[in-house]
Parts: sequence; structure tokens; C-alpha cells
Amino acid sequence: MSSVTLSDVEKYYGPLRVVHGINLEIESQEFVVLVGPSGCGKSTTLRMIAGLEEISAGTVAVDEKVMNRVAPKDRDVAMVFQNYALYPHLKVFENIAFGLRIRKEPKEHIDKTVREVSEILGLTPYLDRRPAELSGGQRQRVAMGRAIVRHPKVFLFDEPLSNLDAQLRTQMRAEIKRLHKRLGVTSVYVTHDQVEAMTLADRIVVMNDGNIEQVGTPMELFTNPANQFVAGFIGSPPMNQFEGTVSANADGLFASVGNASIALPEVNNVQHGQAVIVGIRPEHISIHPVDGLPSIPIALDLVEPLGSEALLHASIDNQPLIIKAETHGDIEHLNSVSELYAPTDLIKVFDKDTGAVINSHPTGRIAS
Amino acid sequence: MSTATDKQPLPARRPKRSLKDRTTWLSDHIRNEWRLYLMLLPTIIWFIVFLYKPMYGLQIAFKDYSIFKGVAKSPWIGWEHFQALFSNDQFLRAVSNTIKISALNLLFGFPAPIILALMFNEVLHAGYKRAAQTIVYLPHFISSVIIAGIVITAFSPSVGIVNTVLGWFGFDSVYFLTKPEWFRPIFVGTGIWQEAGFGSIVFLAAIAGVNPSLYESAVVDGASRWQMMWKITLPSILPTIIIMLIIRIGNIMEVSFELIILLYQPATYETADVVNTFVFRQGLQSGQYDFAAAAGLFNAVVAFVLVMFANTLSRRYSRTSLW
Amino acid sequence: MTNWNLYSRGDKFFAIVVSVLIGMFTVATLYPFIYIAAVSFSSGFAAQAGKVVLTPIDMTVEAYKYILVDPEFWISYRNTFIYTIGGTAVSMLFIIPAAYALSRPQLMGRRFFNLFIAFTMWFNAGLIPFYLNMRDLNLLDSMFGIILAFAINAFNIILLRNFFEAIPQSFEEAARMDGANDFQVLWKVFIPLSKPAIATITLFCIVARWNGFFWAMVLLQSQEKIPLQVFLRHTIAKLSDDDEFAITQLDAAYSAETVTAAIIVCSIIPVLLVYPWIQKYFEKGILLGGVKE
Repeated sequence: MSSVTLSDVEKYYGPLRVVHGINLEIESQEFVVLVGPSGCGKSTTLRMIAGLEEISAGTVAVDEKVMNRVAPKDRDVAMVFQNYALYPHLKVFENIAFGLRIRKEPKEHIDKTVREVSEILGLTPYLDRRPAELSGGQRQRVAMGRAIVRHPKVFLFDEPLSNLDAQLRTQMRAEIKRLHKRLGVTSVYVTHDQVEAMTLADRIVVMNDGNIEQVGTPMELFTNPANQFVAGFIGSPPMNQFEGTVSANADGLFASVGNASIALPEVNNVQHGQAVIVGIRPEHISIHPVDGLPSIPIALDLVEPLGSEALLHASIDNQPLIIKAETHGDIEHLNSVSELYAPTDLIKVFDKDTGAVINSHPTGRIAS
Repeated sequence: MSTATDKQPLPARRPKRSLKDRTTWLSDHIRNEWRLYLMLLPTIIWFIVFLYKPMYGLQIAFKDYSIFKGVAKSPWIGWEHFQALFSNDQFLRAVSNTIKISALNLLFGFPAPIILALMFNEVLHAGYKRAAQTIVYLPHFISSVIIAGIVITAFSPSVGIVNTVLGWFGFDSVYFLTKPEWFRPIFVGTGIWQEAGFGSIVFLAAIAGVNPSLYESAVVDGASRWQMMWKITLPSILPTIIIMLIIRIGNIMEVSFELIILLYQPATYETADVVNTFVFRQGLQSGQYDFAAAAGLFNAVVAFVLVMFANTLSRRYSRTSLW
Repeated sequence: MTNWNLYSRGDKFFAIVVSVLIGMFTVATLYPFIYIAAVSFSSGFAAQAGKVVLTPIDMTVEAYKYILVDPEFWISYRNTFIYTIGGTAVSMLFIIPAAYALSRPQLMGRRFFNLFIAFTMWFNAGLIPFYLNMRDLNLLDSMFGIILAFAINAFNIILLRNFFEAIPQSFEEAARMDGANDFQVLWKVFIPLSKPAIATITLFCIVARWNGFFWAMVLLQSQEKIPLQVFLRHTIAKLSDDDEFAITQLDAAYSAETVTAAIIVCSIIPVLLVYPWIQKYFEKGILLGGVKE
């Protein structure tokens, strides 16, 4: 069982810096997901852990042992690639056995291990097939089998589900999670899909532009985003954000957004007249009157029914927002929505200039 | 490597790596990747021994070469061989013949595969098309000796089918291969016969890459096949045509001299002798190595300039260089 | 789209004309071979009289007998096999590892090495320095010299390098993480993944070797080392220069022309036998390198 430590890790391509000195402590048996938009440096970070990219500065350590100058094959890590990299000329058995054969393990041992692994993954009936004869999900399993079979210290996953269709993705996601529970191997998983990150991770690392924006459990990121970027990335649909101006009266703090006035939670370090960003999650907004909350007029644009819920596309002072509302089996009543109520304690306030959250919760872990 | 963790703003540019870092990197690189260099080594040595060393040997074009003294020790004589070359009628004739034969090849040999590809594209019956393609590609794989043998036999005055057919129409038998005026038509025609089919592959591939919906919308618009050929197929493969044309222009000095050596005779030197056959005769047959090397160098330099010119053109035209 | 029933009358006419023209060109391509075969099986007298057009006249195999009893024919045939098989094998031993190395982004000096190799496609020292170099290397009249000196051409390396470059990086990376070194990555992953490309280049080498003539003629002096093409050339030259042969054999069963035709047939047959395989790959191969000349 192994930990992975990244200290001030930087990556340059020529003069271009794509990873800006990141620090991350991954504990033994933890499932950590690196998530962010494409080009944020998440894959590069993963590949530096794998040894496939040189580390320009800083160190990567597995179990406290610095790996910078260790060849990929000697790092005892295994990786599942986005395109699976299955060898089309080899049967499933040989694909899984490839690493063991290269390492010249004894034949009986290879045979035994491959069969164990294929049993775990439900691949036993397919051992004699070639990758071309398998379905997408089966190929995905073979790719995982090839990683598992070596009993590595760390699993690395590079967007392993992005080549699957939506339904299969959900299914494989659950399988990966089950597998991790069963094997308990430290895992680092890269994806651009925040739903995948939320469902799989023990901890999520949100990356943007070569920096870590925030590290935390899925629920921490959801309830306490450190900044506008995380708020806008996590959640589906993501958090609504409006520009407003702070004002205070006897009842407390308010933010004026156009003609509307949104009640803000207790925030210490804001001044009257300060421009802020007000954030509220679509699912936290109520379209029914709530005691003690001012009603906020909205202009409804369209209603998208999803089944038990519907997404209401609307705007406040020409700033778009999305509301998630219950349908109770009918969307007629939603067409006439003209106001909303925003629960004060669930509202986030962000600094307009830095994007950092102002009313942060003490449990939120914020990276540098 | 430093592991200082004080939070200073990071520099925008990569910090210069120290000599020690570079040395460490290099030794790691060699330790991990030496096999790659080992794989490349034999080929590099081969290129040096068989292709670059002769380039060093090219200096004999400026020397009074003696086999006994060798390349390095033979005395320099400057541009003497080149002066001799440019006052040598045979050499000037060879240069002019090279250009003329290439021009004929370009004029007749270049459009042939394009026309053939356009026609193949219109053949509906897949089996017929396949069979025809199989046959027209074949001559490409036949050696020039055999090609020459076929040409010699077919044009022979007594046996040859060409004269037999001419005889049916009452013409007298002609010994074509001894007639200077017939050499170029026969040579260029043979080239078309041998290469037009094979050359069409590139254009057929370009045609296969044309988006089928272009034809579908043309059908809906009521265009005829003939119109589609002119308005869709031909414009679509124009980039390929231009690239191939540029390559041809770059290779003007490269006339397939193997076939010329096999087909020409003293009687036809007047129209058939090209620079490379001139080099072959002067150097390898008459032993005037230095003089012939000078002629070869002239040819190589002109060819190099043309190829570079062609590559620049194609880079500009297609943004992909040819190599 | 290409549905005959949907064709207009004009389209149908056009398609028929094109098919006929293609047919004519195909026949024109094929005819010289038929003609040569017909001559080779005709009597010398019929051939001399210019009677052969399509089928053998006075069918005879005398010309073949003349050739097939000549031990030099068989020696040259054997030599061609040696040059073809040995030469192709040596070519592959050079080309495959070199193309692999050149395709790897981690190779230092990759741009330089690529240029170093490609430069020889644009600039060539020419016949004389090459010949003198072979003499200095003591490779004149040497079978080994022929095999080695023509083992590599830049185009084939570049072709295969392009193919290797197109293999997704993750195949190499996965194998590396599994512990494979470059030799193993090449042997266990890249070569099996590149079978069509390697087959194509092998065929290019085979065809070039089988047809190779000029340098074999220049470099080889010993009769027992020459390949079939040179033997063929010698024989054709000998027969066509030898007026006596033509005259004295006027009424014989074979003549200079029928013998020449018979040798041509003998040396084309192996090409025809492998042609179906060649055809399977060369179209792909032509397009591998993008553009070929």
C-alpha cells in the first residue's frame, strides 16, 4: 500500500510551462481524481507520475522514494490508457500476460495470475479472443486486467472511459469503484468529466491552467467551492453566478443584482458598495415562497423537462441562471414561474477580482 | 535538484538548467535509451560509407585524378574539367537531350495517369475495373532489361510486329532503333506504357478521398457524369496533380538512363544521349573518371537546385513538404 | 450514387465509351507480353518472316531448349535468387530498426538524422564517385558488395518511419510501463502492428533486387556472379549483334528473336507468380508515404 507525493512539480514544453509547481499528497489506498478542462495539465501530471514525461522541476515520490530518475518500468505503477493500447495481434490472455512475460515470470505463475485477474473482471470466456472481437466494455476490462495483473503499487487511469458510450460509461464507472474497494490499490484517475470525478473519487483535485484550484472530497467541493472556477466546474448544471453590489440594511447584507436584491449570508470582510459574485446552485433555489426570504423576480426563458425534475432557463437582470425544480409529473405549472427564493445560508459570495470565495467554510481545504 | 518550497511567484520562463542537471539528464537518457542509438548506428554507418564518402570523392571533378594516387593525393586543377565540358559538343548535346526528353515526358507522360485515373473512376463494373487495373499496373514491375528486350523485338525490322503491321498498309520496313528521329517517341511511349497505369494509383487514391456527398448533391442537382468529372472530381484532385507536377519538375534531370543505355546505339546518340549516359560512357567505359565526375556533379547540382525549388513550391502550396 | 438504372442516356453512353477506352488501353498494355510469348513459341523461320502477331506460328519449344540447356542461364537465375533473398533480408535488418529509432520522439538529434538520410534523396554523388568508392572498398566483382551497397534507400526508411510514427504513442508507453525495452517494443509491438507496411517495403525491395541491372552490369565481371538481368542483357546483345547467328539459323527452329523472347518469358514468370501478393500490398504502400516518386 503506497502513497504518492508531488512536491512543487513543474512541467515545461520548451519555454511553455504547462504545470505550474503543484503540491499534492495522495494517501495509501486513496482514490484521487484529477479533473479539469482539457489543457489544464492533469494528463501531464499523471504522465509525470507514470514516468512517461520528464519532470522539469520538483519531485514525484512513491512511498517517500523520489521517482524522478526512475524508469517507468521500475516505478511499479500501472496505467490504463484512454485508447486502451491493447495489442491487436495478441489474444486477450496474452494482452493481460504481456507485462509478466516481459518480466520473465515463471509460466505457471503467469497462467495462474492471468486467470485470477480475468475471473475478477469477468473476462474468462474471452481469453482466446482478439481485441477486435470484443465490445468496448470488454476491451476496457482487458486494459484494466493488464494493469491489475502486475500488482502495482499505484494505478493510473488516463480518461479510461471517454471512448465508451454514456450507458456503458456509467456501468464501467461502478465497476472501477467496486474494483478499487476490492483491491484497495492507491489510484490516480484523470478525467474531464466532473460527474465521473464526483462518483469515483475519495478526493478530487480540480486543476486549471496548470494549477490546482482545490482539493477535497466530492461533497466538500460541492458545498464549499474555493473559488468561482471550482463552483462553475463541479455540479451539473454548475453553480449560477451573478455580478452584484453589496449593500446592508437592518435585516443584514444584500447584493443588488439589477433591480433584484438577494439576501447574503453573514460575511465579515465585505464593504458596502463592493462588487461581488453571488453564487447559488440550481438545486438550492426554491420557486415557492419561503418564510423570511425576499422574492426575486426572474424572466423565464424556457423549461427543459428531465423527468422528475426540470431545468428552468431564466435570467435576473439579463444575467442567465438555471433552476432545478421538481416537476411532480407535470411541467405546466413551471411555465408561469416568475420569481425565486434563494436560501441565504446556501449562497456563496466570491471576490469579483480574485474569484476566491469570501464566506469559506472552515472545513474546505484550499490549495495554494 | 532543489526542493525549496518557499512560495515565490514562479518564473514564466524555464529556468536555465545547470551543467550538472544537463549532465545528469544526459547520463539518464543514455542509460535508458542507448538501444535506440544502437538501432540507428548501422544505418548511419552505411550512409556514410556508401553515400557520403562518394560525395567526398566528388572532389576529383576538380582534380587530375590518377587511380594510383587516389582521390586525396591527385593534384588539384580547378575548373579545367568544367571548361572542357562546356566546350564539349557531346556534353552540351546531352544536356539539351536530357531537357528535351524530360519535357516530352512531362507533356505526354504526366497527363496519362491522370486521364487513366479519371476514366477508371467512371467504370461501373467492379470486376472489370479490378482486372483492368491489375493488368495496367503490371509493366511497372518488369525490369528495364526486359522492357528493352520487348521494345527491341517489337520494333525489329525483320521480326517486329510494328513493321509487320506497317507492311499490311504497304509501308516499307523501318529499322526504328537506328533512326534518331524515332528514338524519343519510342522512349517516351515506352515510359507511358510502363508507368501510366501505376502512376494512376496516386490519383485514384485522391479521387477516393473526395467526399461522396458532393456527388450526391450534384446528382440531385441533375448533373451528368461528364459534368461531375469536370466540376467535382478534377478540381478535387487538383492539389494532388499540382504536387505530382512539382515533383516531376524537380526530377527533370533524372531521365531513366538505364533504359536509354539498353536502347540507344551510336546511330541514335544524337537524340538519345543524356547526361547520365554521357557520364557512363566517358567514365565507366572510357575511364575518364575525373572528367565524367565533373559532368555528373553538374547534373547533381542542377538536380539538387531543382528539387529544392520544387520542395519550396510544394511547401508553399500544400503546407506539407514532400519529405 | 453510381447506380446504372439512375443514369441518364448520356451518362450511359459516357460510361460505355470510357469502359471501351479502358479496355483498349488494357489490351495495349497486355499485348506486348502476349506477342513476346507468341514469338518465344514460334519457329525461328516464322519469326524472321514477321508472321507472328498473336499466336505462335509453327509451334515449337526449341528456343526454350536453347536457353534451358545453357548452364550460365541457371547460374544467373540462382544468383538472382541469392541477391533477391539475401539483399532483401539485409535491407530489412537495416531499415526496420533505423525507421523505429527515427520515429521515436525521445531520440536526440532526430531532426538531424532525418535530414542526414533524406538529403541523399536530393543530392547524389553520381555514378563515378560511387564506382570509385566501391573499388576503394574492394567491393568490385563481389556478391557481398552488391547485397550490401544497395541495401538501403532513404525512401523506404522514410516510408516505414512514417508508418511507425502513426502508431499511437500509448502502444509504446503501455509496453514500456510493462517493462519492455526498445528491442522488445519493436519486436513484440511495432513489427506485429506494422505487418502491411513491412510487407510493402519487403516487396519494394524484392522487386528492386529482382530487376536490378545497371550496377550488377558495371560492378560484376565474373560470369558466375551475374544475375539474370545481366545475363539477359548479354544474351540479347550477343544475339542481335551476331548477324551470323541470324543468317545461319534462318531456317532453323529458333532465331535470335525467339531465343530472346524465351529468356524474357523465363524471367517474367517469377514476377507473375508473386504479382498477386505484390498487388495486395503495393497500393497501400504507395499511399503510406503520402506521395511517392
